[in-house]
Amino acid sequence: MAVVIGSRRAKRLEAALAYLALIVLTVAFLFPLVWILGLSLKTRPQIFSDPPLFLWWPTLEHYVDVLGRADFVKAFINTLIVSSSAVLLSLCVGVPAAYAFARFPFRGRSFLFFTLLVMRMLPPIAVLVPMYVLFSKLGLTTTHLSVVLAYTTFSLPLVVWIMRGFFEDLPPEVEECAWIDGATRYTAFLRVVLPLARPGMVAASILCLQLAWNDFLFAAVLTNNATQTLPVLMAGFSGGDSGVDWGAMTASGMLVILPVIIFSFAAQRHLVAGLSSGAVKG
Amino acid sequence: MSESSRIARHPFTVAPPSPAVGRLARFSLDRYFLHATMLPTFVVMLCIFGLPLLFSFYLSFTGWSLTQELLGGSFVGLANYEDLLADPVFIGSLGITFGFTAAAVAAQLGLGLAIAMLLNLDLPYMRVFRTALVVPMMITPIVGALCWKLLLDPSHGVVNYLIGERIVWLGMPGTALAAVWLVNVWHSTPYVALILLAGLRSLPSEPREAAAIDGASRWQMFWHVTLPLLRPYLLVALLLRTIFEFRAFDNVYAMTGGGPADSTMVLSMYTYLTSFVQFDFSLGAAASWLMLAMSMLMCLFFIAVIRRRDAH
Repeated sequence: MAVVIGSRRAKRLEAALAYLALIVLTVAFLFPLVWILGLSLKTRPQIFSDPPLFLWWPTLEHYVDVLGRADFVKAFINTLIVSSSAVLLSLCVGVPAAYAFARFPFRGRSFLFFTLLVMRMLPPIAVLVPMYVLFSKLGLTTTHLSVVLAYTTFSLPLVVWIMRGFFEDLPPEVEECAWIDGATRYTAFLRVVLPLARPGMVAASILCLQLAWNDFLFAAVLTNNATQTLPVLMAGFSGGDSGVDWGAMTASGMLVILPVIIFSFAAQRHLVAGLSSGAVKG
Repeated sequence: MSESSRIARHPFTVAPPSPAVGRLARFSLDRYFLHATMLPTFVVMLCIFGLPLLFSFYLSFTGWSLTQELLGGSFVGLANYEDLLADPVFIGSLGITFGFTAAAVAAQLGLGLAIAMLLNLDLPYMRVFRTALVVPMMITPIVGALCWKLLLDPSHGVVNYLIGERIVWLGMPGTALAAVWLVNVWHSTPYVALILLAGLRSLPSEPREAAAIDGASRWQMFWHVTLPLLRPYLLVALLLRTIFEFRAFDNVYAMTGGGPADSTMVLSMYTYLTSFVQFDFSLGAAASWLMLAMSMLMCLFFIAVIRRRDAH
């Protein structure tokens, strides 16, 4: 959209001011992260040097240290297991439902649909209190399964929301053609609709994976030392009697956020729709 | 196209022997298909959401401890709710949660709108800035909060070095709450900016062109044209951020744990400590139901807004 106002000089000045504001904002938003990255590349004495060092020869010692720790590797594997299981479960359960939501005007549809939305938005702590009690009576606490089920409370609604939008954008002629060729509803769904919906499923999986990877609260309550996830392990670095281990903390922090940042940029196109629960299409 | 017309346009199934039988067969086939697709989601929702919430509703009216049978608690009426409302920490946490939510959402919307307007300018390299500015929201919240704790460290933190003072940020009630607020704003402003940017990009250009021809100034254009057009997006961002800030937990847990002197005790933190540190699940259930009731109201409002917009 081109709305031309003012002379060329005024426009130039405006552009310069805009760039200035953006540069200031970018520095302010990224500085914390860059500084932590810097700390993770310093030796222990360098971290605590006063005044802080701005130029130094980077070291990878904390990364080597963290990656060699058994509990870090274990927590990494745990996080991978629970978040990918939660995503898989939500996809298997949620994708067919999203298709039904998009194609059938059945009774109670909008009620069920908005219940799913509410499920995503209610405070997790409120679901966690009874969930913990029920799981501990069933002997499920500290298992991977309990965390996977807890993660489903946010990943299932997300899958259904995103996939419904995707199926609605898919022209119904696609299935009609399959039916003319003799396919049943099931085969049309499995053989024709699902392959076409693959990009949507990829986007939904990435967004869910990101949420599950980032979760702290559910995992903090429902896991123990053997099943803890990375965020829980990280929180443990900052407490304890020995004080904060700055090197381990900054290096592991960087290792934890690296995959999420990669995921997020991969799904950037769908980020807005995902984070606004479908209220805004990005 | 409406849903019903979409369905009505599916007249073909496996070659029907006669129209009436075909319709019947198709009808029941669709029913089976509908059940098969909806049932798993329905069951999962019931098991991980419906039943736990019902159970916590029951818990909130009983005196119950973890050693008892699942339904073995004694009925105590509203005693748990009365205890909560008599607890100054809980009453304080209500005020802190609402104040914190309002302050965080206001800052996120203001800053987010400014960033979205800047990123919407038709200038080169905007993609670079857009990519850089959304990074904070991608960071694992607890990791972000822990990193900020190091930055705010009283003796070795870079923030104190930059301002040349030795402030114990997380040790004093006023600054602790401000620090948690700052981290929330840092983390979530990009969300708002992205939603509003999507809104700005989808606005029709005609009203702005008309205003430009009529000689509107930049400020008039923003205030009388862009902002009113952007209202639905602002409303969505406002409601979503309110709902999500209301349940804020990770930052508080990592940075202050609710202290000092309960100054950062938001409702989630209160419920967490009651349930999983003091192991008073009945009181925790009561607190979580009060939280649920409040956020349910906000959600219903949000849903009403989307439905009204969809209807238009």
